[in-house]
Amino acid sequence: MNAPDRFELFVLGEGEKKLTITPDTKLPNAATFTFQKEDHTIGNMLRIQLLKYKKVLFAGYKVPHPLEHCIILKVQTTADTTPEAMLMDAFQDLIDEFATLKKKFENELTLHNINDDKSLRDGNGSSTDGMYGNNEYYF
Amino acid sequence: MADLDLLKNRVILESDRVYSISSMDVPGTYPGVDDTWDIEKFRKNFKVVISELTKSNIEFDLIGVDAAIANAFRRILIAEVPSMAIEDVFILNNTSIMHDEVLAHRLGLIPIKADPNDFSFRWETAQKNGNTQGPTDADTIVFKLQVKCTNKKGAPKDDSLDPSELYENSSVYSGQMVWSPQGRQEEFFKNSPPRPVYDDILITKLRPKQEIDLELHCVKGIGKDHAKFSPVATASYRLLPDIIITKPILGKDAEKFQKCFPEGVVEVFTNKDGEKEARVVNPRKDTVSRECLRHAEFKDKVKLTRVRDHFIFNVESVGAIPPQRLLPDAVKVLIEKCKVLKRSLAQLNQNN
Repeated sequence: MNAPDRFELFVLGEGEKKLTITPDTKLPNAATFTFQKEDHTIGNMLRIQLLKYKKVLFAGYKVPHPLEHCIILKVQTTADTTPEAMLMDAFQDLIDEFATLKKKFENELTLHNINDDKSLRDGNGSSTDGMYGNNEYYF
Repeated sequence: MADLDLLKNRVILESDRVYSISSMDVPGTYPGVDDTWDIEKFRKNFKVVISELTKSNIEFDLIGVDAAIANAFRRILIAEVPSMAIEDVFILNNTSIMHDEVLAHRLGLIPIKADPNDFSFRWETAQKNGNTQGPTDADTIVFKLQVKCTNKKGAPKDDSLDPSELYENSSVYSGQMVWSPQGRQEEFFKNSPPRPVYDDILITKLRPKQEIDLELHCVKGIGKDHAKFSPVATASYRLLPDIIITKPILGKDAEKFQKCFPEGVVEVFTNKDGEKEARVVNPRKDTVSRECLRHAEFKDKVKLTRVRDHFIFNVESVGAIPPQRLLPDAVKVLIEKCKVLKRSLAQLNQNN
């Protein structure tokens, strides 16, 4: 009866900002990012991506409370860059990564369809190729 | 495989524990190994293999990604790839024994075959039209369900008690929903009119003189809002098992070893000394039951592991979106999410 509305999970509230930055007062080159209406999907992905940079000294995230639909990401970097710049890189690299992934998936799909058609023509209906298929044939 | 490589690339299973679980391929973990992010390296190492594709199911491997990415895809597939479902039910008449709200809930769960890309979210059209509320042909599909139960004409054969022989429309099925095109929909969906994915879903039962008269409005939504909007029945992944035999397993032990695994995982062959020996042929089929670790004779001869960056996805579509389109759709959603966040970060940086 007093359950919160489901749309609170993904619709920004009145005057709410998607992203806010709070610089750390005690540490140099450190900041806390708050992402509204995001969850572990983005949080964990960003954390791992940030950790893969040499210039990032610390990256961690948390969901502060199950009823607060936001994530808090803490980042500390080396002196020659800023957390904002590294986060920007992380977003760009993730976008590139997903684009690659999508392209490869679509290539594989056309290959799979060709193989399927071929096996249908050969009259052995199944497409139970090995794990890596017999795709060499088409290159 | 050296110990370090094993720790770096494999999840290791022992009889009483599982260890080396988290990915550690970040710079600074291993001396002398450079794990810094490099898109070219990713492009080289990353692989997709589709191993099975049926009408409703797809199994594919993502090789060379981190668990965070694989899990993001799983979560997006379940909760954030949009699809269409009945959201509003207008009940003009309902004299059946099923209560209005129960009926409406049941209708909501019927998968609707309509391409969500052809529609916009209600809030999108509301924004575009200056916040005027109300459905438009760009965001709503309308179905009508008007069924009345009557006695069948002519006496039933013998003394049948079967309602389907006694009455007309004793059961209401999803196939009886009639699409009522709005605005420009009739022309736009000429070749693929929206309809339920399955025509034989039982909605309710009626008896003579009972009738239902409903108008159903389908909208576009995401699984986070309600599970009925989720385009997948299941979306899960597992890691590829890898069984490493460290010392040869010979003779009778070989056969016993084979029996510890599901069929087709381990085979027994005759080695060059004429002895029977076990070898792994298809670890993919293994369920990783760890049965072999219960026997003392295999304890030091085998290592059960899983490949940490090899994800075997199994995704089953509900039917509205073909299974091979689900992952590309998920990627699109994820890229869009990243772009929105990137934009808001850029804006913040400008203001400061």
